[in-house]
Amino acid sequence: MNFNRVWAVTYKEWREIFRDRLFFAMAFVLPIGIFLAVGFGISFDVEKINFAVLDQDNTATSRNFLHRLMDSRYFDYKGHVQSERELDPLLADSDIRFAIIIPPRFEEQLLSGQTTSVQSLIDGVFPYRAEVAKGYISAIIANFNEQSLVTHSVSKFGITKQQAMAQVSPVRLESRYLYNQALRSQWSISSGFMMLVLMVAPPFLTALGVVREKENGSIYNIYASTISRSEFILGKLLPYLLISCLNIIILWWLVMTIFGTPFKGHPFFYYLASVIYVICTTGVGLVVSLLVRTQVAAVMLTIVISFIPAMLYSGLLVPIESMGTETQIESHLFPTLYFLRVTWGSFLKGLGWAELWFDVAALVFYAILLWVIGFLNFHKRPSE
Amino acid sequence: MGEAALVVENAVINITGFCKSYKKKLAVNKVDLSVQRGEIYGLIGPDGSGKSSLMKAIAGVLSFEKGSLEVLGVNVVSESSAEKIKGRLGFMPQGLGLNLYGDLSVEENIDFFAQLRQVSREQLAERKEKLLTMTRLEGFRSRLMKNLSGGMKQKLGLVCTLIHQPELVILDEPTTGVDPVSRRDFWSILAELLREQGITALVSTAYMDEAARFHRLSLMYNGQILAAGEPDAIRQQAKGCLIELSAEPQFEALNRLKIHYPQIEATGPIIRVFADNVPSSKCVNTITGLLTGVEIKTLRALDPELEDAFIALLRQGPLAGPTKKDNSVPRFDKPLPDNKSIAIEAKQLTKDFDQFRSVDHINFTVKQGEIFGLLGANGAGKTTAIKMLTGILPPSEGEGQVAGANMSGAAQTIKERIGYMSQAFSLYLDLTVMENIRLFASIYGVDRKILKQRIAWVIQIAGLTGVTGQLAGSLPMGIRQRLALGCALIHQPGVLFLDEPTSGVDPVGRRHFWNILVHLARVEQVAILVTTHYMTEAGHCDHLVLMYAGRVIADDTPADMIQALQNEAGQLLDITTDNPLQALALLEKENFKGVSLFGKHIHLLALDIKSVEKRIRELLVKQSIRLIDITPHAPTLEDVFVYRVLALENKVPA
Repeated sequence: MNFNRVWAVTYKEWREIFRDRLFFAMAFVLPIGIFLAVGFGISFDVEKINFAVLDQDNTATSRNFLHRLMDSRYFDYKGHVQSERELDPLLADSDIRFAIIIPPRFEEQLLSGQTTSVQSLIDGVFPYRAEVAKGYISAIIANFNEQSLVTHSVSKFGITKQQAMAQVSPVRLESRYLYNQALRSQWSISSGFMMLVLMVAPPFLTALGVVREKENGSIYNIYASTISRSEFILGKLLPYLLISCLNIIILWWLVMTIFGTPFKGHPFFYYLASVIYVICTTGVGLVVSLLVRTQVAAVMLTIVISFIPAMLYSGLLVPIESMGTETQIESHLFPTLYFLRVTWGSFLKGLGWAELWFDVAALVFYAILLWVIGFLNFHKRPSE
Repeated sequence: MGEAALVVENAVINITGFCKSYKKKLAVNKVDLSVQRGEIYGLIGPDGSGKSSLMKAIAGVLSFEKGSLEVLGVNVVSESSAEKIKGRLGFMPQGLGLNLYGDLSVEENIDFFAQLRQVSREQLAERKEKLLTMTRLEGFRSRLMKNLSGGMKQKLGLVCTLIHQPELVILDEPTTGVDPVSRRDFWSILAELLREQGITALVSTAYMDEAARFHRLSLMYNGQILAAGEPDAIRQQAKGCLIELSAEPQFEALNRLKIHYPQIEATGPIIRVFADNVPSSKCVNTITGLLTGVEIKTLRALDPELEDAFIALLRQGPLAGPTKKDNSVPRFDKPLPDNKSIAIEAKQLTKDFDQFRSVDHINFTVKQGEIFGLLGANGAGKTTAIKMLTGILPPSEGEGQVAGANMSGAAQTIKERIGYMSQAFSLYLDLTVMENIRLFASIYGVDRKILKQRIAWVIQIAGLTGVTGQLAGSLPMGIRQRLALGCALIHQPGVLFLDEPTSGVDPVGRRHFWNILVHLARVEQVAILVTTHYMTEAGHCDHLVLMYAGRVIADDTPADMIQALQNEAGQLLDITTDNPLQALALLEKENFKGVSLFGKHIHLLALDIKSVEKRIRELLVKQSIRLIDITPHAPTLEDVFVYRVLALENKVPA
């Protein structure tokens, strides 16, 4: 390996990237842009769900019941309506996500010891949100029922409120969330998105950088000269690796500042693992660049083969354990899964080498594999 | 190894039975080729003739299926054997400046190539200095490559290819898309470099008129070599003679002769006929006989040009068969415009882009029935002028009339009355020929009642019978170009704009295309405005305008332009010596006008031929260079172009 030639390619590439404004923007603005857009956009905390109320009873009890919903931080009360017909357009236009209908004689029936029912119309377009909304409403109703029972017991048997509570629900759940105590999904999501962005941006840049030379013919300078295949690949990819290593730090900083995610692990260990991951994803870009001939095709292919495993098979959105068997196997075929474990382990759990060595080893394996595939398939004397 | 090198003597490249195919398409078929040390060897042929594939394979950057390929004594069979020759050769791929890096400066580009090639620092400094001086790029060292003109990019490409002093350089179409002045410049630099360093060069071109630049050449067509040898020898391979005549009425003469001679064309007022297998004396008699009743103004027999020979060889060889064309060319179904009226008029037309004046107060008029040529280097303002006249771009100043409508107020009317065919042939390649024609018919709002008849007319006039069901993208360039013309004619416009319509098309295709244009102009009185880089093609025009830096610098008929140059600078002297390179240096030193090297010949301009000839003879004798031949010729349009532009360039400090 002749490092003068490697350096010649690296230095040329570096200047090209920094002088081409569009490319420069892609190198730094693109990863940060994706990160912020997706990081703020996707939140699994369902809060402030808009709703409206049709109160056909309009008594103290119904108002008391409704206030439990209105005061909840999960719901955003939008107003009362006078008839059921008014609810349809509100739901259809997504002005509200659900409606609560209190039947007539709600208070009367309750006081006379009969059961009654409350109807909820929920927008089911986005099932996850609908389920969560239903869960919250059910919890509020259960709580209402419990309180009614307690009040009833207190007045009926003349016992204290504590005794009544003990009678009504003898076992209470005391849960404490570890690693992410407040269950802020943004903590997990923002750190998890480092995995996503570092999966998408480096191959994107690398593939464009190589295919650009193929597309306009300057690759022939390489083909026709004495530079060896490995010298060219190394020289060509080094600038992209460097940029990505810089991006790791920028993203890391954003995760900790903008999203307020704590970092509990070992910084050196995590940086090293991230660099290995970036070597690996740069290798993805190299492989893509060998498969396509135009920059447009390179963009399309990179998005397909990097976004999908990062989003669907990494465990970012759906836990690996809740996937089907085949999907689980597929998940283990992509490096994204391993790096996500390293990331969450480092950020939230404070794990290090001892616990995560296997995942890092998997990343090393992928990095070597992808670069070897790239090297073997890059030819200076292609057939077309 | 050493012995093997001795056995092949001086052959730098030795190819036998070379075949290369892409998927199932055969690109190069059984080619034999050998190039000697120190030669400038040419590959001439249209796009898709297999030149690039062959050159890439020789450069060791493309694998091939069959045949043997020996370069610099190495048998190139695999990627690893190809590596052995790469240090000793330089390869410049096709495309103007495309292999260079736009965001790097001239000097950075050169340094990159040198580093890649392991040129030592001292050698680099020395060679860079010399090459930059020779190519007159030294003043532009720190300019970014993307901001160079086409001709400068090409010279920089050459410098980068030569920086490691290769034994063999392979240059793929280095002059395509470059204006004639830069092309001449490029050739003389190349010749000088090769002479000094004893480099062998394999160069391809699509321009037939560059053939004279080569020591030997191969004519390629459809993946095969049609003829190979010295330019003069190839010219003589086509059996027959060339007659040039002018007659009145021209179209009548053309129609009568067409039936007997398949290879005939009208260039301006001149009709050129190539007659197969007959001596010129006999041919003259036959033609005179055929043209009884037509007034023959001039008639003379000439040596055929290489392009004539190429077409003749094609007709006699691969394209042999019934090529006799149907004589009944369909007519317009519309009333013809008055042939005296003015079709296009530009008055003080000006266009500014930011700080830059692209078109500077240009004036010209085009009459109905006239073929009008707009010539100029890249960036001279031709395309901008066309865009303003067609109403695509509003002018900064001045006005224009097109097809009876004012350019500024009636852009829509103009668009309805003109046909426009762009450089890139604005066709939809994924549609069939028929679908393309239908699409253009509906874009131009052709009346449904006459649609069927109009489509049939387009197919016939553009010669598309038999290919209507094929995808436009699968057609050869020549047919694709006629389809683009047909689409531009669907509404039978009285004015036709053609922007570089023949780039990349083979000579046979080009002739067919021009025959259609001549018909449109002469019979249907269509006014045709055409821009072109091919100087031989400029001769087809009735009237020419030469543009330089946004201004009109010459406005005349081709014949008068040549006459004016003759009056001003004299005849062209074609000098053949036994040592052309040394003679060239000598004549350049003595300040003769327009000295340039064409293969083994030297051209220069001389007013007083007798005295100049005498002086040259004396000079050559002194240097003991043997003069083989010295003949005066009429200058060509290319000479006119180069002379006029250089005269201006020398006035303006760079």
